[in-house]
Amino acid sequence: MEGNRIGVYICWCGTNIAKTVDVEKVAEEMKLLDGVVVSKSYHYMCSDPGQEMIVNDIKEHQLKRIVVAACSPRIHELTFRKALENAGLNPYMFQMANIREQVSWVHSDREFATQKAIQLVRGAIHRVRLHEPLEKRSVEVDPATLVVGGGISGITAALTIANAGKKVYLIEKSDKLGGHIANIDLLFPNLQQASHVIQSKIEKIREHPNIEVFLESEIEKIYGFIGNFETNLNHGIDKKLKFGNIVIATGMKPFVPDVVQSYGYGKLPNVITSLEFEKMLMEGSIKTKAGFEPKHIAIIHCVGSRNSKTNDYCSRSCCSTALKYIHQINSALPEANVFDIYADMRSFGKGCEELYTTASKNNVAFLMFDQENELPIIQASKSDKESNLVIEFKEILSGDMIMVPADLVVLMVGMEAQENAKLTSQIFGISVDKNRFYMEKHPKLDPVATTTEGVYVVGACQSPKGVIDCVSQARAASARVLASIAQKTVEIEVTTSTVTEEVCCGCQTCISVCPYKAISFLEDKSVSFVNEVLCKGCGTCTSACPTGAIHSKHFSYKQILSQIIGILSNN
Amino acid sequence: MSYKINLNFKKELSKYGAGNWNECFHCGNCTAICPLTEDGFLFPRKGIRAIQMGMDQKIESNVDPWMCYYCGECSETCPRDANPGELMMTLRRYLTAAYDWTGLSKKFYASARWEFGAIIFLFLLIVALFAIFLPPSSKILSNPSAFINAEGGVMINQMVEGFSANQFLQIIHHGDWTMAIIVALLLVSNIFNMFYKVIIKDKTTKIPLTAYIVEFWHLIYNFAFQPKFSKCENKNYWSGHLFLMTGYTIMFIVIVALLPLFQIEEVKPWFHWQRLLGYYATFGILYFLTVTTIGRIRKKDIKFKFSHPSDWIFIVMLGLTSITGILVHIFRLTGLPMLTYIMYVFHLAVLVPMIVIEVPFSKWAHLAYRPFAAYFARLKKAAWQYQVNKGKVITV
Repeated sequence: MEGNRIGVYICWCGTNIAKTVDVEKVAEEMKLLDGVVVSKSYHYMCSDPGQEMIVNDIKEHQLKRIVVAACSPRIHELTFRKALENAGLNPYMFQMANIREQVSWVHSDREFATQKAIQLVRGAIHRVRLHEPLEKRSVEVDPATLVVGGGISGITAALTIANAGKKVYLIEKSDKLGGHIANIDLLFPNLQQASHVIQSKIEKIREHPNIEVFLESEIEKIYGFIGNFETNLNHGIDKKLKFGNIVIATGMKPFVPDVVQSYGYGKLPNVITSLEFEKMLMEGSIKTKAGFEPKHIAIIHCVGSRNSKTNDYCSRSCCSTALKYIHQINSALPEANVFDIYADMRSFGKGCEELYTTASKNNVAFLMFDQENELPIIQASKSDKESNLVIEFKEILSGDMIMVPADLVVLMVGMEAQENAKLTSQIFGISVDKNRFYMEKHPKLDPVATTTEGVYVVGACQSPKGVIDCVSQARAASARVLASIAQKTVEIEVTTSTVTEEVCCGCQTCISVCPYKAISFLEDKSVSFVNEVLCKGCGTCTSACPTGAIHSKHFSYKQILSQIIGILSNN
Repeated sequence: MSYKINLNFKKELSKYGAGNWNECFHCGNCTAICPLTEDGFLFPRKGIRAIQMGMDQKIESNVDPWMCYYCGECSETCPRDANPGELMMTLRRYLTAAYDWTGLSKKFYASARWEFGAIIFLFLLIVALFAIFLPPSSKILSNPSAFINAEGGVMINQMVEGFSANQFLQIIHHGDWTMAIIVALLLVSNIFNMFYKVIIKDKTTKIPLTAYIVEFWHLIYNFAFQPKFSKCENKNYWSGHLFLMTGYTIMFIVIVALLPLFQIEEVKPWFHWQRLLGYYATFGILYFLTVTTIGRIRKKDIKFKFSHPSDWIFIVMLGLTSITGILVHIFRLTGLPMLTYIMYVFHLAVLVPMIVIEVPFSKWAHLAYRPFAAYFARLKKAAWQYQVNKGKVITV
């Protein structure tokens, strides 16, 4: 059979496979099979010389189909498909047998392992005989972008993309844009008015011809894939949006400190959170609940952060915010004593160490506490003479128990993931970490992308961060989105399903099981129809179809059965 | 117990010396390099922390600053130039004021005007007392040879009008004693105050009564030899200080306790033991004066880099006392009765304020506080050991 000229390659994977599997014996055995023209073993098939060997053999021996027995196809299937393409073969005329994870790493008996490897490779050879060439396809990228969240991150991403001339749909859950930054007085490290930063951006968004804002809107479901997403927006009237990329900027939720018993938040009226203190600063009056100017103000860091009972992680921006408060208190109430009760001072980043240095020259005491084991205890003062509250704790650098007077205590609350982060992640098909922050694809190499193509995460929904980092991420994601739009097309899955209309009975079982909403029902013909652009090739419909009318490309019944036969047979 | 935080303390302390305590980030290099710090008495870092936090109660109950002899190694090692050595010096000034119940010490340290005022007042008081009650003899100018003895020296007890040699000697002698008793009363009461702050107020450490007796020799030993000082890397400071200290002690004993033996009409030969003692004392003081004056002007040695007004006042007063004392000696030996009288009055007019102000209220108070601090430290150690031993008995 000329069309069945097969090349078989057994990888040693150094000693990973060769130690347990007699790779040379496997190669020898395979030579006996029908259609096998070349059968070799080599130290590293994935290496450049290994791939070149395949390319050269294809040319020299006019090979039409290739089997590589090596590691998992998840690791190197694409590598070898590429090699076939380089040699002028259709990349799908290839099958991989996993003799590392499935054989050498899980067996110790060499003879048994070798026999198992032989069976697996034989199955692969049987299967590859029935492979059909599949053609790569691509679809156009919709140049519109969906930005979810109207805080500083979402606003920045929306403006950046819209300024490049591309359409942006900006979705915001609440009734106004601005997010948390709208409730902040000044921004560290330069003590700039937050409202100046955010208001001008909101104005630009309102007037921008390329941005369509949807307030009080949420997304319940997303269909499609990179380049071709769509959603039904529940926005008064149902509205269908189509877009090619998604930027998720859903932000964070401030930690609510009432769970930290020793701080008495909610019970002691003069113990407030940093957000409540920002409100005081915005109103321009720092006052106790009774309406007096506080003589002693204490700031407690790491509230809800870096403690195994609440959250393990650092919220990155609270230390610098606290330093900002010292400056603000000092200029508003120059006579007030400030006690900065910290666990570790993390004033990293441009201009922030300087913020610490200048803050430390004010009328302030920096007092260190043990964040894990001995949280400060805030109590109402027994004698009202000096202050209305007293904070008692062991100060680490002196080793002494100390008492700090306070009329007002500001708790520097950390950031937490949004309550519905898990649900949101499922809607967009992305993952969350153990703290329910959205996972990036790679922390260093791809920090704003996700494992789902075309979906990006920016700002505090990805991890706690300050305005500077949020804006940087938003700009970075915008660049990724614009690059995707500039490519105009995107390759799509070819191993999709098709319906044989003659066999389809119109039961619509496939429609109910498809997770991608890729199948529709053609009323006139009374048959199902697969939209190959939406189909991901998962095969659910194929296995569910009671009449066998649905066929998954590259996973046909014949192909799978012949692989099983190959594994079970002796030749 | 919990210490109260007093943010105004830093402001208060800045009157007592140069402070860059904010620079310290608590690496602990200063404590690591210090040859004098030990378990239970860890300094200078902990002292700096107490300053930063404004723990005035803790500072006042602590003897650590007295256990530092300011070799300056900590300041040289400090990566932040926080100058821990000078901070310890500042704390010693603060403690001197804190122990002083009269409040004068605080006034003198905080305000040079107060200190100068007090010095000038005492100076003028002594001059006035001489002018009114002990004026020079009317014949001292017309017949100077009447005041010269067989050796050609001025008969020092016969210079004043209306009193015999013995009467004059007794007046001065009683005056000396009066001064010494006033100074001693002030100093002793301040030491009691120190004892109260360091030992009585510390409820965590119960000193066993026997320890007071067993450890007492440390007080004497430390007063006489400053054994801790000798553990600093640069031994010259210790030996130089010992030279000054022994010299000054001799001088003090001579002029206060044994005046009738030394202020005599007869001029002994230069190799006589009485004169040799005087010369030893004079050279001890002069050596110290030279080293500190040059050091404080050059500011090269870290120990002398920072000078509080009280440091200079001490040097100037001691210098003036020495110079006038030496001039009295020279004028006497060269047979100049009027100049001898004038210089004698000046000598006392600088000596009295120097002792009355410096010893109970200022820099010189360390002569008592350092040995007592060493004694109290021994008492605390004994108490800790006692507690450990007791603990062992219970657990075993």
